Amino acid sequence: MHTRVIVFSAAIIGVGLLLSSFLGLFEERIDFNTQVKPILNKNCITCHGGVKKASGFSVLFRHEALAPAKSGKPAIIPGDADASEMIRRLTLTDHEERMPLEADPLKPEDIDVLRKWIDQGAEWGDHWAYTRVEKPDVPKIGTFWSRLGIADNQEQNWAKNEIDHFILEKLREHDLKPSPEADKATLIRRLSLDITGLPPTEKEVTDFVQDKSLNAYENVVNRLLASPAYGERWTALWLDLARYADSKGYEKDAQRSLWRYRDWVINAFNQDKPYDQFAVEQLAGDLLSNRTDDQLIATGFHRNTMTNDEGGTQDEEFRTAAIIDRVNTTWDVFQGTTFACVQCHSHPYDPFTHDEYYKYLAFFNNTRDEDVENDSPKLRFFKGTDSVNVAELKTWVQTHASQPQQVQDWMNFVRMTEPKINSHDFDQYVNSSLLGAQYYGFYHGGSSRIKSVNLTGMNRLVMAIGTKSDSATLTLRQDSPTGPSILTLPVPKTGSPWNDSIMVLALPKLSGRHHLYLTLDNPKKPQDWTMVKWLSFRPALPGTPATSLGEADQKLQTILNGNPETTLVLLEGSGNFARKTHVFERGNWLVKGEVVTPDVPKSLPAFTTDTNGKELPRNRLGLAQWMVSRENPLTARVAVNRLWEQLFGTGLVETVEDLGTQGIPPTHRKLLDYLAAEFMETDHWSVKRLLKRMVMSATYQQRSSVSADVLAKDPFNRWLARGPRVRLTSEQVRDQALTVSGLLSRKMFGPSVMPAQPDGIWQSPYNGESWKLSDGSDKYRRALYTHWKRTAPYPSMLTFDSPSREFCQVRRIRTNTPLQALVTLNDPVFVESAQALATSMQQQGKTAEQQIQAGFRQVMLRNPSPNKLAVLLRLYKQSEMYYKKHPADAQTFMGCYGSNDMPRATPELAALTVTANTMLNLDEVITKE
Amino acid sequence: MKKLLEELQQAALQRETRRHFLHTCSTGIGAMAMSTVLGSCGFFGESDKKGVVGTQVPGSGEREPMDVRTAQFAGKAKRVIYIHMAGSPSQLELFDYKPELQKYDGKDCPQSLLEGKKFAFIRGVPKMLGPQAKFAQRGQSGAWISDYLPHLHRVTDEITFLKAMHTDQFNHAPAQLLMHTGSARLGRPSIGSWVTYGLGSENDNLPGYIVLASGGKQPDAGKSVWGSGFLPSVYQGVQCRTDGEPVLYVSDPAGMPRDIRKGTIDAISEINRQQYDEVKDPEVLTRIAQYELAFRMQMSVPDAMDIKGEPQYMLDMYGVDPNKGSFSRNCLLARRLVERGVRFVQLFDWGWDAHGTDTSTALDLGFHDKCRQSDQAVAALLTDLKQRGLLEDTLVVWGGEFGRTPMQENRDGQSLPFKGRDHHLEAFTVWMAGGGVKRGFSFGETDDIGYYGVKDKVHVHDLQATILHLLGFNHEKFTYQFQGRPFRLTDVAGKVIKPILA
Repeated sequence: MHTRVIVFSAAIIGVGLLLSSFLGLFEERIDFNTQVKPILNKNCITCHGGVKKASGFSVLFRHEALAPAKSGKPAIIPGDADASEMIRRLTLTDHEERMPLEADPLKPEDIDVLRKWIDQGAEWGDHWAYTRVEKPDVPKIGTFWSRLGIADNQEQNWAKNEIDHFILEKLREHDLKPSPEADKATLIRRLSLDITGLPPTEKEVTDFVQDKSLNAYENVVNRLLASPAYGERWTALWLDLARYADSKGYEKDAQRSLWRYRDWVINAFNQDKPYDQFAVEQLAGDLLSNRTDDQLIATGFHRNTMTNDEGGTQDEEFRTAAIIDRVNTTWDVFQGTTFACVQCHSHPYDPFTHDEYYKYLAFFNNTRDEDVENDSPKLRFFKGTDSVNVAELKTWVQTHASQPQQVQDWMNFVRMTEPKINSHDFDQYVNSSLLGAQYYGFYHGGSSRIKSVNLTGMNRLVMAIGTKSDSATLTLRQDSPTGPSILTLPVPKTGSPWNDSIMVLALPKLSGRHHLYLTLDNPKKPQDWTMVKWLSFRPALPGTPATSLGEADQKLQTILNGNPETTLVLLEGSGNFARKTHVFERGNWLVKGEVVTPDVPKSLPAFTTDTNGKELPRNRLGLAQWMVSRENPLTARVAVNRLWEQLFGTGLVETVEDLGTQGIPPTHRKLLDYLAAEFMETDHWSVKRLLKRMVMSATYQQRSSVSADVLAKDPFNRWLARGPRVRLTSEQVRDQALTVSGLLSRKMFGPSVMPAQPDGIWQSPYNGESWKLSDGSDKYRRALYTHWKRTAPYPSMLTFDSPSREFCQVRRIRTNTPLQALVTLNDPVFVESAQALATSMQQQGKTAEQQIQAGFRQVMLRNPSPNKLAVLLRLYKQSEMYYKKHPADAQTFMGCYGSNDMPRATPELAALTVTANTMLNLDEVITKE
Repeated sequence: MKKLLEELQQAALQRETRRHFLHTCSTGIGAMAMSTVLGSCGFFGESDKKGVVGTQVPGSGEREPMDVRTAQFAGKAKRVIYIHMAGSPSQLELFDYKPELQKYDGKDCPQSLLEGKKFAFIRGVPKMLGPQAKFAQRGQSGAWISDYLPHLHRVTDEITFLKAMHTDQFNHAPAQLLMHTGSARLGRPSIGSWVTYGLGSENDNLPGYIVLASGGKQPDAGKSVWGSGFLPSVYQGVQCRTDGEPVLYVSDPAGMPRDIRKGTIDAISEINRQQYDEVKDPEVLTRIAQYELAFRMQMSVPDAMDIKGEPQYMLDMYGVDPNKGSFSRNCLLARRLVERGVRFVQLFDWGWDAHGTDTSTALDLGFHDKCRQSDQAVAALLTDLKQRGLLEDTLVVWGGEFGRTPMQENRDGQSLPFKGRDHHLEAFTVWMAGGGVKRGFSFGETDDIGYYGVKDKVHVHDLQATILHLLGFNHEKFTYQFQGRPFRLTDVAGKVIKPILA
């Protein structure tokens, strides 16, 4: 892009002694992005852009706009507005011809901008977010004298770090002044909720309030960043982006096991894994050399796509849907650009073309997952005798292997049973069917073809097969359904064709590529189905006879038939398993256009070398490395903007999901670029350091209350003349209630848990799974460990704006609804919290007043104002009076959810519970102030 | 309360930026708050580039998300009851009478009908299957209805049948999404969300869009069929349950009387007001309003959902067992809800997927039972609405997500023990009644065996365009700006079916 601009500028100068453009040099230069593009987008691009190119004219790309239109002439002639058809049509009075059609004419000043712009050469600028991140100078604050340290200056007294300089610059522009620092109790609550997702303890507040040292605040920041709860809090955010769930989605929405990925994210945050590495491992951990289990687990990021088990749905359609989702999610999460439009047509507003979408998709289209019911590939975790067997097999292979690679290959196969041919790929069916549109089945006389298998060196067939019959015989034949038999197998009786047994079978020595045919004989039970789920052709295990089975094969078979824990992973296919990528015409997966190879859009930096100058491989790994290179204009900006949004409630670009031309322009573009540059260069992608920069700013530490005057000037706090004040997230609302009442379990990691949930939420068709209340303290785990079923997510979290996680959701839109009030008033989790809080309140004072004060401190970490205390006390008295008259109700109320060892359900305790329930519903409680 | 409202308006007046609709205007059901914000943030006004609201409907000083609003033009329907038989009932056993098909019963399906077609479960060459029910012409209009729906015969003359419906999707979840959101993929607002977004609600104390499900399962596409997609979440359907609490967490904990709950709400409001005085964040005022609405909903929702007050003859008319959740009960509830001003009532009844794999999905057994269990209530609903003068401006829609094949299903190429039909996207029947559609009318024809529509075909998007038209919206101009472009229910297609308009 840069070179093009330069070449073009040179051309202008060359040709450019045209009078108008010569004069143009003395005029103020028109900026395409801020002045021209908005006019084009508003008035022209709907008809003259990506999808539609009315009269063959488009203003999306420069080369399109300058090309001859249908009339044969270009509509824009750089350097000559008067000769440009575009200007003529904009200025006509005849309604038939004047542009825009059927709309009001452009304002004269807009036409003037366009005229000057054409005269100046009709240059196309790059949208700011697609240009390289350059670190801007930090704005000066204060006065000349104050900077010398001679005079006192309010700005300088207020500012704590560079962020504040950028903020002050904008505040001045908008005639606003920053707010003073929040009081210490408020500040530490804000900080703790932001960094760990949990409120501080009363002791932590007291310690901080009493610590008068200069770095008291910084010490708290450091302590919180080092807390294990930090990883949990930021993982909660990341799980929305990764669309993490414990179920597969779609109709049946059966459970799946991917919690190891969630745990990986927690650890990654806690270890402060640099964000570039964090991205690379999730996108392409399987392609890293000497990859670890953890790096494979990380690829669960893109295995969170949904799998469709609905009977009758085609695997290839939903495999494609998953790949498209991976592309769109990658853009949403790392590039902050809505790429999905380009699936069907060139982007109407941003500089991406239709075929570029599919070139990009080609990076992702090569993985082994194929929407099969068993969710393969999965990484297996062996325990007990299985792990002993695996260790023994590994020793065997190590002892007998002629090349070290063989050990790796075999261990990969044992861990992931890949690569394999899924049986939905068979064709030429006779007496056969793809049962449930999922797996291949055949009965007596049935046959099918396995296309073009390279048999050179392949002496083993591993196959998952089953039938309810005890008399079925399978034959594998070469070249035709009646060709020579290379294997005959009595099919194991497994009770049902859907139950499979994995067989390791020896093949005779063969070479070259052959079509192979499976045939089935079962004259006794001609109607009984036999099902083949998958098969894999492999060399013989080292140290075993080539054409017959050895002891090691038996061990292998035992291992393969085990039932270990698993987690879903990405695995690249190569050789026979590599796929071609086609353009889908208008986004329809059935209409395949030209074949494309992996590449990135031209309007972004070229796909050449990584930061160290090494050539990038044209695969997902290369793509991931390209994405986190210093040259990529989006990755760091998007990450910074997202973290900023989490702390301040609104991003520097409000549309966190879209930094492109359709997004809302940044409020503080220079600050965003400054932080992005620092994030990459100084902080080396350390998220903890970036967060620390943000929370160390005076901007962050401001008071969040607002005056009527400032509210009128800046109702949405875009210019940050005050601190953030936003409702807590769904996770924080729950976790806080459990924390302040003392119920929260701090157990980390492991399979998801099922806290109390009303009956009848889970009703997936053709799915017998049910919600089973977790035992003991597992009921009180942090929200992020809650079992997440996509079609029926945990109701209270959904009500507080958690997404369903069927797809990536970049931004939660905060709502404020009566259904939320019902959750915090009546959801058993919150009533139990109130009961526990009341019990603790009772132990902390003799009088009701003391008890309520203690409770308020426990929740809000400060003393209630006398007025608030009076209101609560009045409510307490009202309740106490009632429960004294109705002791049975007190019993019922206190016994309704809590554990059996609830202390005596006195009227006083019931009244305290009512008071606690009220406190947990206060605006200031469910808000970060 | 009056003072609160004034303050809310005052606070809201201080805001003027249009693009913050989502932030400020999605403040909840019947939000008292932010009233003028909606007026000023472009609700139904002109949309700016980043604006979220994109309808070009003339503004009418709307004040809050669920305030009653006038449509683009005067529609004949004011509200909708949409009855979705999830799984898709067979049109060939109910409305689309095909005597010719009987002649082919048991014969192999001609290859011409199979070439280039994909079916969910049919493999190889299936056999044709004649109608399993007896048909006769009913009512003055002479509509063909089978003996599976004897009660519906009585109200035939209220109904317009669309007999050549067709869709693009032959699996349940995507087809249901297409039917309700205009797109087979997740993420778009449902028709009920569009309608409540467009018209608001007539009852401040109830959600404007209520979903009732029966049949023991939720629809295959899950909650997304009543989701609000990219519209503010205040417009999503609220599922009222017939077992347990009608709305989740609407009941106070056992042992907490209403007076005490009132006391807590008052205390919360009072402390929040003090907090507002300190911090001046208008969101606090919204929260006060939402808590007060929640308190009212605690009464109004159970009241609307409680059928104890209905006289016995009414229960008998619908065939409702007052102690059991059922489709019949949901029909009665639908009437109670529209009577109370709920804008859009969506009924789902699961279990209509008559494949013939077992007795519950056999056309002459399980399917016939589903007809028996629903027929009386549907007829009663139309009768009841009519008697109350509600049918005139209440649109009732009945249908599944696709049709059934004229072939008998041969799951995986083998004959099944029971008679059933596979999913079929080429032809099915949907009917509508009330709210501005013709009475006693039939539109569209299929071929002799009911395989293809041959005359007056109606696509799912046409149906949606027509429903919006009946409510007063031009489906092409009823749009919402999202991710840089205007979206609409009918995607890029849809034509209003003019011949069926009364």
